[in-house]
Parts: sequence; structure tokens; C-alpha cells
Amino acid sequence: MKKNKNGIIHKVILQTIGHEKRQHYMIPVFTILLSLIFGAIVIALLGSNPFKAYYNLLQGSGLAPKASYAGHKGIITDFTSFLNALTPMLFAALAVLIALKAGLFNIGVSGQMLAAGFTATVLIGYSTLPAIVAKPLVVLIGFVIGALAGAVVGFLKHRFNINEVVSTIMFNYIFQYVVSFLINTFYVDPVSRQSKNVGASGRLTLVDVVIGDYKMDIPLGILLAAVGIAVTAFIMNKTILGFEIKAVGSSMRAAEYAGIQVGRTRVLAMMLSGGFAGLAGVTYYMGYFASIQPKVLVSTGYDAIAVALLGNSSPIGIIFSSFLITVISKGSTYMNSASGVQAEIASAITGIILLFSACGAYVKYKVNRWKEDN
Amino acid sequence: MNTIIIDGLSFALPLFIMAIGGIYCERSGITNLAIEGLQGFGAFCGALFAVCIAQYFAGNSPIPFYLAMLFAFLGGMLFSLLHAMLCIKFKANQVISGVVINILAMALTEFMTKQINASIFGAASNKFVLGVSARITVPVLSQIPVLGAVFTNLYPFEIVIAVIAVIAWYVLYKTRFGLHLRACGDNPHAVDAAGIEVSRVRLIAVMASGALSGLGGICFAYSISANFSSNIYSGYGYLAIAALIFGNWKIMPTLGACLLFGFARSGGYELVKILEMPSSYQDLVMVLPYVLTLLMLIFFSKKNHSPKALGEIYDKGAR
Repeated sequence: MKKNKNGIIHKVILQTIGHEKRQHYMIPVFTILLSLIFGAIVIALLGSNPFKAYYNLLQGSGLAPKASYAGHKGIITDFTSFLNALTPMLFAALAVLIALKAGLFNIGVSGQMLAAGFTATVLIGYSTLPAIVAKPLVVLIGFVIGALAGAVVGFLKHRFNINEVVSTIMFNYIFQYVVSFLINTFYVDPVSRQSKNVGASGRLTLVDVVIGDYKMDIPLGILLAAVGIAVTAFIMNKTILGFEIKAVGSSMRAAEYAGIQVGRTRVLAMMLSGGFAGLAGVTYYMGYFASIQPKVLVSTGYDAIAVALLGNSSPIGIIFSSFLITVISKGSTYMNSASGVQAEIASAITGIILLFSACGAYVKYKVNRWKEDN
Repeated sequence: MNTIIIDGLSFALPLFIMAIGGIYCERSGITNLAIEGLQGFGAFCGALFAVCIAQYFAGNSPIPFYLAMLFAFLGGMLFSLLHAMLCIKFKANQVISGVVINILAMALTEFMTKQINASIFGAASNKFVLGVSARITVPVLSQIPVLGAVFTNLYPFEIVIAVIAVIAWYVLYKTRFGLHLRACGDNPHAVDAAGIEVSRVRLIAVMASGALSGLGGICFAYSISANFSSNIYSGYGYLAIAALIFGNWKIMPTLGACLLFGFARSGGYELVKILEMPSSYQDLVMVLPYVLTLLMLIFFSKKNHSPKALGEIYDKGAR
């Protein structure tokens, strides 16, 4: 074997990720590092300084100070704007995660986001309700509409054996076109060609709040997302429902023999999943943005699949994976203007990170083999 | 009526060829969510080749189009090797691999399109202009009442697709290799015990899927959008996945599903025209194929079941 040749590298790798108990988080960290190195090489080959480009990503996300700021802007305003973008991603990842736990694959998060976001926009966003009533109602409507959309998918799966991948894809299209029709017919803003902006009272992000010398956007949804993660972790680890969901997800037959009502559990899991997708929708369309672009399905729902899997399908894990992916996507605009590295490279790096992480099982297998050899 | 058939077919057939690729892949036991990315990457390769050689041919020459198809075929196949490597060699989660391929394909092709346009053609543009492929009408057959529309105003790619589809059907159901492939998706251990290498069969299946997806992609680029841009990622791949699951992972029912999508779509457009509704109503009619599919699924899904070993990583040692 080549073992002796690169003995030092071997030792380092074994020391860091060889330990069984630490592997579940050391291996993702290892693969992410590997992919960042790979991305750096790509950026260097394109003729830019990779360290500067990565630093730009952090600067663009408000995690590192920029050289200069426009008036009323600062590192803190960049950071709150980053949190604003992070919120929908956290919810969407939670939505994918819960469905995954039940062995279901919710590819329709984007559609559920749109349905919930649009309904809340029309019912509350255009009303004149005071903020104290409007904001909770937006959250409630978002959750309920999303949950309904999810429940329908779960019901179709349970009652008619309709594969959830197909039905969610179909619903994605249906929501996309119906919402686009309604916006273009009733709610279009003739200048922006999008839906009219929602009022400030219903919006889940406080826009242009003046604190000290800064004007910042404060996303209220991020607190909600923190609660959502805690609740999900609690449901999954401490409640009967969570146990049943995981049981159905790991083996439907076994769960059935154990007396778990598989159909009911699946519908409930899809409801929860849809509910979180709905919250992602309202924090996206009535928080991060204030309007809806017709005929466009946001990519958040698809990215969230990758984020959830990158986060080891654990509620705590997705905090880190959402954070990482959002830093890259949010910072890419600044990276483009500061280093001239095209923004598309940022999504390519995201892809590479996910690609390397997907090989986590293989890395684990290899490392454990080495350990046995030694 | 004729327009419905003509437009419906030109939408359904590229979808069908992508779905056949998906069937090959999934029947061999590899989940394929990557069709969207594969078709985009294939279309990118074909379009790039077509614009590079366009200056050597007269404006109306069909040769660049056929070469574009060939290169889309090869490009899709090349990119699918990534999926194969991740799923077969690195034992990655097949779902995440599919999603990754979609993300990568989107980012890479958009980036390269911009970069190539700027550096080679000296124009800041994010698309390759292709134009719409010429159409042909088969002389005698097109005179048949109603059915004649099938042979009227055909895109040449529809004939190519029909031929490939027949071959694909024959290979999957009537040859020894097809049998091995289907067995890999249901019981890979039995295939292994029979002395056939599971990973090899799966590799070929994934490559076939990539190639056919690429072919479907370039057909859309040459008909609906008339260029290659990020517009190619408007969900054709996901629709193909829906069609193949609707078709219960079998080729003929999948053709039915694709035709349903195609005809409902063109029928809807026609309806808007006939009733002289404002164009925003088009969006509402576009819902038709998807609602119809859901309704049909309610009646036909009971007997649907996926290949038994779909999405499972093949591990020789596991029993």
C-alpha cells in the first residue's frame, strides 16, 4: 500500500476525523474544507485572488467589515440583511427535513411557499390592519395555507398511493400559474411587473429602522425560525409523534406491525412540512421581499433539499448548513463587484460543497478502512 | 385541431425522450432527479457547438442542427458521468447527487455562456441564439384526415426521437441487456449472483439517461425558446420525472403521459385563442395538464410501484 508514502497526511486525517464519536460532524467539516480549497483553486485559475474572494463573501454577508460604506450603512446593516435572507432558507430546510424523516420527499417547498406567501399578501398585506394584529395573522395564514397544501399531498399519497414527488411537482406548476394569473389580472404593479408591494404593517421585516446612525432591515422572522428549529428538535426527539414519524421513515412495514398508523403519521408529517414551507413563504415574500414576481418559482425550495441533507437531516445541523449556503449566495453580489469574480461562481462553489458532502459516506468508509489497516 | 396535434407533439416528444432516459436510469436502481440539469448541460454543449460552426454553413442549412443534436447527446452523457461517479463509485445519496447536478449545471452553463460570449464572440450576452429549426411535411401521409396532422409541419427532431424511442423500447424489453438492467433495479443481488456486474449495468443506464436528456434539452432549445439561455431550466426535467412516475416506470404508459401533457398544453393555448381571452388567461389554461395529471393519478395510481431497489446503494456485502 501507499500508506508509508503519505504517512503524515494519513495520521492527521485519522487524528481529526478518525474518531468514531466525532465523525458525524467532523466529516461534513472535512468535506466542506476540501470543497472550499477546490473552489479556491478554481477562482485562482480564473485569475482572481481566492482569499480576497472568500473574504468578500464574508464582507457581503456582514460578517467582516468592508473598506467603505454608503451613508447609514455599516457591517450591522449588512448582517441584518443577511439574517433576512437566511430566515426563509431555515424554514424551507426544516420543511424538507421533516418530510425526509417520514421517508417522504417534499420537492414542492417552492410551490407551498408561493401559495402561502400569495394568500397572506392578498388577505393581510393589502389590508389596513394595524401591525400588532397583521403580523401574527400573516404568520398564522402562512402556516395554515402551507400546512393545507402539504396535507393534500400527504392525503393523496396515503389514500390514492400517488407518489409525492409527482404530486408536489404538479402542485408547483399549478400554484405557479394560478398565482401568476391572479397577480396579472388583479394585483399587478404596472411599473415593476410584479405584484403590488405589501404594506409595512403586515411585513415580517421592519424596513429602514433607524438605530443610531444606521438604517437597517430587522427580520422578525429569524426569531420565529429559531423557535421553529427548537420545536422541530423537540418534536423529533421527545414526542410520540416524532418517534412515529422516524419509525415510518426508516421502515414503513415495521412501523405498521408496531401498530403505528402509517397514513395518519405521513399526513401529519406532510402538514408540518408544508406549514414550515408556508412560513418560509411569508418570510420570503412578505419579509425579505415585499412583492411576488409572477411565473417565477424561487429556487429556495430546491436549494433547501441540499441544505437539509448537508445538515445531516438534523435541526441543529441545518443551522450551520443554511448559514454556509446563505453566506455564499448573499455575499456573491459583493464578491462580484469587489473582486470581479462572477456571481455564478458562487453557486458553482455551493454545488461543489454539496457534491463533496454527498461523498461523506464514502470518506467515512475509507477512513474506517485505513483505521483497520493501521 | 391540427395546431393542437402539431404543437402538442413537438412538446411531448422531447419530454418523452428525457423520460425514457429517466426510465433507464431508475429501472437500473439509480434515482434520477438530475434530468433537469442534464438536459440543460446537454443543450448547452449542443448550442455551443452550433454557434461555433454556424459561420461555415449557409443560414438555412440543417447540418448545424443535426451536429448540435449529436453534441447535446454527448454532452449530456459526459455530465451524467458525474451522477454515475457519485452514486456508484462514491456511494453518495442519490437524491442529493441529483440536486447537486442540477445546481452545478445551472451555475456552470450560465457562467460559461457569459464567459464564452464575452471572450470568443466579443459580445456581452447570456444566451446563444439558435433560431427555430426548419419544419418538414411528409407528402402523402399528411393528406390523411385528422391523423395527417401528425405528419404535418414536423420538426426533424421528432423523427429522430421516434426512431430512438423505438430502439430504446426494444433494448429495454427485448434484449438480454435490458433484462439485466431491469433486474438491477429490482434485485441487484440476484444480478450479481448471476455473474453480471451491477455497477457496469448501472453506469450504462445513467449514461443513457444523460445522453437522452441532453437530446431532449437541445430539442426544446431549438423549438420553444429558439436560443440557449437559463430559460432552458424551466422545469422540463421535473416534468419528465413526473411523466415517468405517472407512467409507472414503463415506456408506453409514459408516452401516454407525455402526450397528455403536450396536448393539454397546446389545447389550452388554442382555447385561449379561440375564445379571444386576454393573454393573461394563458396562465390559467396552463394549469390544465397538471390538474388533469393529478386527476388521472387518483384513478390509476393504486397499482403504481417503483423499482424495488430504487435509490438503494448497492453493497455487495449486505444481505
